Amino acid sequence: MSEKIVFEKAKERIEHIEDVLSSVAAGDLDVRIEAEIEDDLTGVEEAINILIEDLTYELKQSKKMREELEEKLSKIEDQQKTIIRQQDDLLELSSPVSKVWDNILILPVIGTLDSQRAQIMMENLLQKIVDTGCTMSILDITGVPTVDTQVANHLLKTVTSARLLGADCIISGISPAIAQTIVHLGIDLSVIKTKATLQDAMIYAMRKNNQLTHGKIKSDHLSETEETE
Amino acid sequence: MNEISFDNNWEQLGKYPIVTEHDIVKIRQLVRHHAKEARMGIVEQTRITTAVSELFRNMFNYAEGGDVLIERGNIDGKNALIVTCIDQGPGIEDLELAMSDGYTSGMGMGYGLPGTKRLVDRFEIQSEKDKGTIVRVMKWR
Repeated sequence: MSEKIVFEKAKERIEHIEDVLSSVAAGDLDVRIEAEIEDDLTGVEEAINILIEDLTYELKQSKKMREELEEKLSKIEDQQKTIIRQQDDLLELSSPVSKVWDNILILPVIGTLDSQRAQIMMENLLQKIVDTGCTMSILDITGVPTVDTQVANHLLKTVTSARLLGADCIISGISPAIAQTIVHLGIDLSVIKTKATLQDAMIYAMRKNNQLTHGKIKSDHLSETEETE
Repeated sequence: MNEISFDNNWEQLGKYPIVTEHDIVKIRQLVRHHAKEARMGIVEQTRITTAVSELFRNMFNYAEGGDVLIERGNIDGKNALIVTCIDQGPGIEDLELAMSDGYTSGMGMGYGLPGTKRLVDRFEIQSEKDKGTIVRVMKWR
């Protein structure tokens, strides 16, 4: 074989390698270089074939991982949706207003009073006042661990709007620690009728009720509690 | 007012961002937890928790959130819980006015900052217009 033929042959094979590489670059991973004769170039050709194999494997792996990740992501998104839905449910559930006696409503507040909850709470209470025609309502905040100015502001607004509808609001369940904190903050809650416990508020409301219905305090028991206070 | 320094030998207990209203609740619960750890009484716990709640709310309402640094350190021989609130908000133009009872720039009651000051043992504030505000409160047993 003359040198020229060898050179031509080598050129051909290199061009073939180029073709295969550009196919791979374009995304076709099924192509392989077919080695016809064994010589110095065969090693390079085999190495390229192995590289293509490895690349195919890695691509498959990463595709699999991406699919797994996407699956997980959609699961998380589903969970997120559930959480949001449950939060909404909770908002509705957490502000029950119940009529406990003639003319008396109770709204127990538990947990944190953020703007959204405060708004729903106020709406529920006002609606219930209108629906039932009750003129006494008790807001029990025993379950509220922190009363800052915003919470106090919400309470004041709720009481004021209830008053506009002709209902008196009593706030009960202020702990000694919260009482001191409110005073230090400088919030004036003296415009609101407050009682230490729900029981006190209940007794007060029932006594008020008696006054309203009979024009004077009838029950001996109730007037006694007033003296001992 | 003195510049608030971050070059202290205090033990950092955590740094948290305030982004949502829920963060306010979450981080103030953490502060209450640290106050409990520092063996503060229930009144002291409530005070520091309420104080930081005011500060967090300010950041949330006026500065689009910020960062909270909770530290423990020795202040004048006392074991103190130190909470620093850093925001990049609009700043407070007139600090003296903001620190007076009954003044409010927004929809609040106007007791936030002065009230917070009364609830803690030490209160430091530093604010620059359009740059942000840093408030540091300390409470010891």
